[in-house]
Formats: sequence, C-alpha cells, structure tokens
Amino acid sequence: MADDIVDVLIVGAGASGAAVAWSLAETRMRIVCLEQGGWMNPAEYPSNGRDWEMRQYSEYQLSPNLRNRAADYPINDDDSPIAILNFNAVGGSTILYSAHFPRFHPSDFRVASLDGVADDWPIDYWTLEPFFAENDRNIGVSGLAGDPAIPFHEPPLPPVPMGRMGEAMGRGFNKLGWHWWPSDTAIVTRDYNGRGRCLNLGPCNAGCAQGAKSSADVTYWPMAERAGVELRTNCRVREITVAGRDMATGVTYFDADGVERHQRAEVVIVACNGVGTPRLLLNSTSARFPDGLANSSGLVGKNLMLHPFGHVRGIFPEPLASHFGPQGSCILSQEFYETDLSRGFVRGYDLQVTRGAPPVATARAGVANGTIPWGQDHHAAFERTYDRDINIGVLCEDLPEEHNRVTLDPELTDSHGIPAPKVSYTLSENSRRMLEHGVARASEAMVAGGATSVHPSPSPIRYCGWHLLGTARMGDDPGQSVVNSWGRSHDVRNLFIVDGSVFVTSGGVNPTTTIQAVALYIADAMKKNLANLFD
Amino acid sequence: MSAEVIRSDRPMTAAQRATFQVVVDMIVPASADARKPSAAEVGVLDFIAERQPGELPAIARDMDRLDAAARERHGAAFAEIDAAARQGVVEAMRADDGTFLQNLALHTVTCYYQDDRVLTAIGLEPRAPFPKGYEVVAGDPDLLEPVRRRGSIARKA
Ligand SMILES: Cc1cc2nc3c(=O)[nH]c(=O)nc-3n(C[C@H](O)[C@H](O)[C@H](O)COP(=O)(O)OP(=O)(O)OC[C@H]3O[C@@H](n4cnc5c(N)ncnc54)[C@H](O)[C@@H]3O)c2cc1C
Repeated sequence: MADDIVDVLIVGAGASGAAVAWSLAETRMRIVCLEQGGWMNPAEYPSNGRDWEMRQYSEYQLSPNLRNRAADYPINDDDSPIAILNFNAVGGSTILYSAHFPRFHPSDFRVASLDGVADDWPIDYWTLEPFFAENDRNIGVSGLAGDPAIPFHEPPLPPVPMGRMGEAMGRGFNKLGWHWWPSDTAIVTRDYNGRGRCLNLGPCNAGCAQGAKSSADVTYWPMAERAGVELRTNCRVREITVAGRDMATGVTYFDADGVERHQRAEVVIVACNGVGTPRLLLNSTSARFPDGLANSSGLVGKNLMLHPFGHVRGIFPEPLASHFGPQGSCILSQEFYETDLSRGFVRGYDLQVTRGAPPVATARAGVANGTIPWGQDHHAAFERTYDRDINIGVLCEDLPEEHNRVTLDPELTDSHGIPAPKVSYTLSENSRRMLEHGVARASEAMVAGGATSVHPSPSPIRYCGWHLLGTARMGDDPGQSVVNSWGRSHDVRNLFIVDGSVFVTSGGVNPTTTIQAVALYIADAMKKNLANLFD
Repeated sequence: MSAEVIRSDRPMTAAQRATFQVVVDMIVPASADARKPSAAEVGVLDFIAERQPGELPAIARDMDRLDAAARERHGAAFAEIDAAARQGVVEAMRADDGTFLQNLALHTVTCYYQDDRVLTAIGLEPRAPFPKGYEVVAGDPDLLEPVRRRGSIARKA
C-alpha cells in the first residue's frame, strides 16, 4: 500500500470531508480519507456517567489547547480575543457541535451588491438549495416548515421540543413583535435511518451518547464506508506534494504508528476546516510554491471570519425545566438579521436561544460571579437560579478582513513536529457595534419573556471561536480568491477545498448546514466534470 | 462519607482535615430544612483527592493559613473557634485576597451537586442522563401565530 495511487484523497473526516466522501463514492473511484483522529465511542461520552457535568470541563474541553488529546494540534490564539474551538476525530468538530442548523439566507451570498461591503459569492442560495435539502435528508434534520425569514423548505423531521423555556421566550418575542421560530436542528427527533431519536440528554457539546445528534461519524461515514470509501484514522497529513505541471501528487503523512508515509493521488481534497486547511496549505511549500500551496493570490489564511458571539442569561421566576433538551438548540430570532443602517452597523445577527445550566454549572457560575453566596443563603440563591435560566447567544456576521488571518507559528509545533497555526484576529468596529446592539436586544427580549434578572456577559465571549471560515475563499478572479466557484484551486488543478475556508462571507448563522451544502455542491460539480476535471 | 474513609488524605494532617471540613461546611451548610446535607457530609475532600490530587498541597497550605489566622486573632485552632469568629477570619482573609478559597469553593459545589441526596432534594433522579433521558414538553405551536400573520420578512436578494 506504501506508494500506490488512489483516485481521490480526502484530508479530514469532519462535516465537509464526510459529505464529499459519501457523494463521490457513487463514482466507484478509489477514495481514501486520511484523518488525524480516531473513531469516537459513544459509550464513553460523558452523559453515560454520573460525573457527566465534570467531564465536560476536562476531556471534552472545546479548545484543543485545553483538551490536549493525542489527536489535537495546538493553535496559538494568543493574538485573538476569540479562542479557536474544534474537535479532531472521525466526525471532526461535529462531535462537539450543538447542531443548531439554520441556513444562510439568499442575501448572505450577495452582500457586496446589497450592502456594498465585502464580496458577492460566485454562487447563490438557489444553486445550493438542492444540496441543503439533500444534506437535511442524509443526516436527519428536524425543524418546522414555514419560517418567514428564509425561503420555504421542509425539514424531514419535526422540531426539537422548545419546552417551557422556549414558550417563555416565544411570548417575549411576540410581545415585542419580533420574528422567532423553532430552530432547524441536526438532531433526529424520531428514529431515523437506524438511529434512535433524541432523548433530551442535554450535553450535546460533549458528544451524543444516543447517536441522535447528526454528527458526521454517525451519518455520512457509515454510508460512505459501506459504499467503498477507505477511511484511515490516526493519520496526520504534513503536506501536500506537487510535481511539474502544477499538479498535486499526493500527501505525506504520519500513520497511526508515527511512520512517515506518502500516499499518491490523482485528486486531493482538503477538508481540514478554516484553520486546519490554511495550515496544511502553508505547510506545503516547494520551490514552485514557496509561500504555500495554491497561494498565488496571497490569500491563503487571510480573511478569517469567526462569528463574534455575545451572551445574555436571564433568570425567570418560575421553574422551566430549562436544562433538559438539546443544549444549543431551541428557538431563534432573526429580527435583526438583515442590514438596517440606522442601527449603526452593516449586516446583522441571529439570536440563538439556548437551554439553561445543569446543577453543577449553575452552582459554579453562581459561586464564581458571586450571585450564589456561601453560607445558609446558598440554598435559596441556588434555587432561585437553577432550572429557571435561559441563555441567548448573539451570533454576529463577521466581515472578511485580510489582517484577520491564520499563519504558521514560528516555534509551536504539534506532536509530529509539524508547525502549528497561529491566529491573529481583531474585532472590527462594525462587529463591536453589532454585539452591543445584539446584547441589548437579547436583554430586552429576556425582560419581555418575564426574566426577573438579566445578566449580559462582556463581549465578545472568548471561548466561542467555533465557526472557522474564509481562509481559502472562492471566487472567479484568481488574484482575489484561492479556489474557483466549484472549489478547485486556481493554481493546482487537481486540488479541491471543500470546508468553511472557501466561504466568501460568513452570514450571521451557524455555518455547518451551509458548509455541507457547499461540500455536496462541489462534489456534484466534480462528478459532472469528471471527464475534464483538470481543464 | 465520614473522615475515616477518606483514602487519599496523606497530604493533609488531621488538623488540616478538621479545618477543611469546617470550611466546606461554611461554603455549603446543610439546608435549614435538613433535606440537603452539608458539604462535609458529601465527601468533598475525597472527591478532590480522587479528581484533582495535584491541588491538595495548595489547599492544605490554605488550611494552615486559616489556622494561623485563627490562633493569632482568637488563640485557638480554626476548627475550635465559634461560627462568628470563623466567619470573621475568612472574611478578613478574602477581603485581602479575593481569590482565597475560591478554587476550593468551586470544587465544593462541583462535588456537592453530584451527590444523590442533593440531586434528589432539587428534584432530579440521581442517575446519568443516558439511557433514560428526559421528557421535554413540545411547546405550544399556536404561539407562532403572530409570526405567521406578519408574513415573510425575507430580504429580496
Ligand atoms: C463546540 C462547538 C459547537 C458548535 N456548534 C455548532 C452549531 O450548533 N451549528 C453549526 O452549524 N456549527 C457548529 N459548530 C461548528 C461545526 O462543528 C463546524 O462548522 C464543522 O464541523 C466544520 O466542518 P469541517 O469539515 O470544515 O471541519 P471539521 O468538522 O472541524 O473537520 C476537520 C477534520 O480535519 C481533520 N484534520 C485537520 N487537519 C488534519 C491533518 N493535517 N491531517 C489529517 N486530518 C486533519 C481534523 O482532525 C478534523 O476531524 C460547532 C463547533 C464546536 C467546536
């Protein structure tokens, strides 16, 4: 196996790599995916045990720098107010994701035309629409058809329960006359394709013991492997190799035993996410590409977008059973999603209503911020808070700016000695104003919903860099983009990028449904162009 | 869990343990209605020894500091002075250093809110979430009526 040649080599088995693997499998080409992590075992996820809350603070830390699993690589994010979060395993960051699954709006693809900022995408919502729908069916997405904020679509499964807390916030939004709707969620609410329905366990961000959360390891990978795709785990790719004719020849990687190997391939697809992908490209230098592969535009690693996140917590007078149910998904409001310049900023944000804190988290937060005192008053203060809290996240569209970027750290390396990424990011004035506006509106909504006390956190929240976008953007102009409108590198014609790196702008919603729709669209374009893929 | 069954208590002397038990009870005493135990009763020391043994030496030093302050101000060990005097000692030390005992307080509540008696008292079954899960009410879909009536708010693109 040492140096045979495969048709397609995918690097990264997360949300996008898995979707592409499944889609291309029907071609019967020989497809191999190299993933630096291993398979997760749902029987080991925290919610199997009594100590489930605690384990979230250790093995399931969201930041790889704090988590330090063998498959993780360090990320220097000291030069950013927002820390980078991810997961490295089969399934990638979907192992930890909340599965909040709102689609981009049609307007998100046309921000330059509509608002005179950033750039339009070379594709639009309607190009992606069939792939959004295909992805919803493939992985199992729940939701309620008819949301008036976005084009009509019908999620295959009924929505996750909003619970008493969702009702309280729904009444609050109604009082204000604002939009709200049950969130599209990549969690199966009925038994679906051999997977059991959601049991409302709670801690989705530490892996789903039931397998109801539609992470890529339980959705696309079983289908892709059945269709013949070979997934090699614990294989970390160091660089993509090239030869004459500006074509990729394969990759050099370390296998599970730490042995350095080379895998030849006709086509290389990179799916390592908005930080891992530019890192790999920048590590792939050669005489022909001294500044990193596919980087003639100089844009590899630049225009990093992170969705600055604000947070408000409200405490309500009555018990709401608020910490049961899918942690990060309940209802949303897109009242402030589209541009209204009178607000003092361009573009907009999503208000994501999320569940309350379970007991340990309630007590820890209260003790840390002094709202739950020591002594006899502890009990009353705990009871006034526990099960009566609701959270709202303010997820802001982040506009592309070249100085926000991923480079290689001059000193930091991973356990294989491969240079680690360094993230340099500054919050823009536009984002600052948007956060301020959003936190004020979320506070208003809490009061309208009946909260007796409202607690905004200082923005932006540091440990919220979960959406990694824009660092190998798509476009028609090779001087202004890294890949073309169907994910093919302008410089290296057998190199494709399929993850959130290719995003031109970030939208104001969680990106993974759009990432997977883009990945399926690119795979479809590859299939349609197989005969002249490299022309 | 009583002090006798604490297994990993070697980094703590008997005096430090006595101080420890008194301090965690100051953080979370038993509830007035006696439905919830005090923190000392749920085995915080054992919990830290098992989960975060590396932190015990620092906690032991903090116990010594409390004891020394109690002896200086009241002429007796921290565990032996009365509740008001203890309160005064802790408040003075925390006024000097806001982080003093903060970490211990976090460990204390982390342990406390995993205890069966405490969970039962706050209305939870003491069990792992999986496999039984929880029921969550679907919520009233009619609440969406005003949103529907308003009609599309999608921006023309
Ligand atoms: C805590 C958390 C909560 C989130 N919640 C949501 C949410 O509610 N909704 C939403 O839409 N999104 C959410 N996200 C984001 C979502 O997980 C990502 O958008 C999505 O997983 C990105 O897919 P991807 O394929 O680009 O990358 P990933 O899923 O991150 O996969 C990349 C894979 O590439 C592998 N890899 C990287 N470099 C190499 C290499 N050199 N060699 C081999 N393998 C490599 C990694 O190990 C990883 O498995 C969340 C993320 C986190 C961390």
